[in-house]
Amino acid sequence: MSTFQQALFVARKDLLLGWRARTRTLAVALFGMVTLVLFSFAVAADGEVGVSAAAGFLIVALLLSSILSLEESFRLETEDRALEGLLLLPVDPVAIFYGKAIANFVLLVLLGPVLLPLTAIFFSLELDGANLLSLALLWVLAAAGIAAPGTLYASMTSRVTGRDVVLPLLLFPLTLPILMAGVRSFDLILRGDAMSQLKGWTLLLAAFDLVYWVLCGALFSRTLEE
Amino acid sequence: MRNVATGIGLLGILLLLVGSYVGLFVAPPERHMGDVQRIMYVHVPTAWIGLLCSTFAMIFAVAYLWTGRNRWDDRLVGALEISVILGGLLLVQGMLWGRVTWGVWWTWDVRLTTSLIMFLLFAGVLALRSFVEEPLRRATWSSVATIIAYVDVPLVYFCVRWFRSLHQMPSSPETVHSSMIIPLRINAFAMLFIAIWLIAWRARIESKSRGAERPPERIEIKGALNG
Amino acid sequence: MTPSVITRSLGKRFGRKWALAHVDLEVAAGQGLLVVGDNGSGKTTLLRLLAGLLLPTLGEVEILGSSPQQPGSEARSHLSLVGHQGFLYEALTPLETLALWNRLGGRRKSVAELENLLAEAGLAADRDTRVSGFSSGMRKRLSLTRLDLENPRVVLLDEPFSALDRAGREWLLSTLSRLRAGGAALIVASHDPQRAAPICDRAVRIERGQISWQGSLGDLESAS
Repeated sequence: MSTFQQALFVARKDLLLGWRARTRTLAVALFGMVTLVLFSFAVAADGEVGVSAAAGFLIVALLLSSILSLEESFRLETEDRALEGLLLLPVDPVAIFYGKAIANFVLLVLLGPVLLPLTAIFFSLELDGANLLSLALLWVLAAAGIAAPGTLYASMTSRVTGRDVVLPLLLFPLTLPILMAGVRSFDLILRGDAMSQLKGWTLLLAAFDLVYWVLCGALFSRTLEE
Repeated sequence: MRNVATGIGLLGILLLLVGSYVGLFVAPPERHMGDVQRIMYVHVPTAWIGLLCSTFAMIFAVAYLWTGRNRWDDRLVGALEISVILGGLLLVQGMLWGRVTWGVWWTWDVRLTTSLIMFLLFAGVLALRSFVEEPLRRATWSSVATIIAYVDVPLVYFCVRWFRSLHQMPSSPETVHSSMIIPLRINAFAMLFIAIWLIAWRARIESKSRGAERPPERIEIKGALNG
Repeated sequence: MTPSVITRSLGKRFGRKWALAHVDLEVAAGQGLLVVGDNGSGKTTLLRLLAGLLLPTLGEVEILGSSPQQPGSEARSHLSLVGHQGFLYEALTPLETLALWNRLGGRRKSVAELENLLAEAGLAADRDTRVSGFSSGMRKRLSLTRLDLENPRVVLLDEPFSALDRAGREWLLSTLSRLRAGGAALIVASHDPQRAAPICDRAVRIERGQISWQGSLGDLESAS
């Protein structure tokens, strides 16, 4: 089995386990929704906020939900030391990283169809077909940017006490470029892009994703050393 | 080695005194801001050396992962802590400047914002260290987290620059008159030397706290040797 | 012929504490070594070092001529570790668990063969029940089916007899005897020398991380 096939197999295993625990997965989506509701009350009781603010709330909701999703992804690996069981096999740890990162990425993408419509509804955003496609691409890039470093960090923090504090502390400052790029792009998609800036932001996001998918994959096996 | 580092440190302190004196009393006041601008003589060097120390941290992190030698982790701790301290100082200086110059404690100026995020990134690595007791793991994870944090810095910088470009934010002066460059350079070297001294000192403390490198005495094995 | 398992001056430090030091061992193919020692003496650390899950602080480990530390190494594909924990995913069924180990381990057993393995372990009836519903005895059996799946040349076992009833122990002993007869080297860490007697001929005692006694299994009883 090539490393790529191993990674896909690991991703499949993770997604199967995610499906088996689907009530928990749904609870994460619900958490995201609750976060959006909190935001809407925090700024204006009638929900009247600009597009940029709505975009910000959406991505912050994604970030907060990602913590829960990432932690769960590794809880089931440490419960019975299942991950070590995999490491004892002649599996390339890189395959394990990418497999889990892909699964985490998919789960974050799946939050999109839940959180995006809710954001549009709560904050009165006008979404049409063309917008939706661009927003979907944006969401995919944002989810990818969170999934790679998130998987790496979650694998570390799952093995220490105080994991609930450390994971967000490490991940959130790191993913600020995603927040900024996401908010700007969202705004440009919905309100027009007079100066053609969207391409720049999209490229920045893609660059972030590429850098971290490669870097985190390269560093993962070192974090397994004891 | 220890004496070299101490010597460098003392030189640094001396230079800082000289540079500060020049900056405070000898250099001319700035055209628009007057004497307030003199904070630049510590602010700019703090920024330069802070960035340099975080680069040292990155280098030490890579060195640790490459060689596995504990001395690089010791130095990494030093570099991380000094970066965070300088980062904190930078933020405070920036806030003071802003308060006096524009009347606000904080602006989302590109450099101030990036400094804040850098501070958080590297403080996060130190926080991670405090949660990991086992030294091998702690060293490896710190190195990994440092590399990831450092790579983020240019990304953050560009993001913030574009993000805030619609809003004209006041920022510190870009061009510097030659009579001001001298105290700046003196202080920059001063802070560099002090930073090196402190990093070396911290590394030594860390290395001592790691304890005995050698295993306990070999005990006698009883029983049949060919069992 | 080179022994299957060799350690030279093996030492492992966690922080300030040396969990293991100056460990020199050799186990040849077809031999069984029993490792006895109190809790915290270093038995588990030793097994984990042999499996490649831990990096030695000092010294080296050689399994079948290579180091087990490299993930893709020759050594890893020929060794099995059965530890305290089962390495199980709670939400998978035993059949899925074996399929996972089968595929990721690069082996090509068919579903029918996997089902046979489960039957031999006495888990046929539960093959579609999730592991979360298993008793500790069943979990142990599932973990141990890995041995039949992987057919290793080096077998590392940490308290393998705990949580097993008599039928389970007999099944395990017959599996281990078969593996030994086929040339596998066995290293068993156990509190219970009697149970391990059928499959081990030599023993070492570990005290505070170092080997304090070594000899044949028969001598162990008289020594303690």
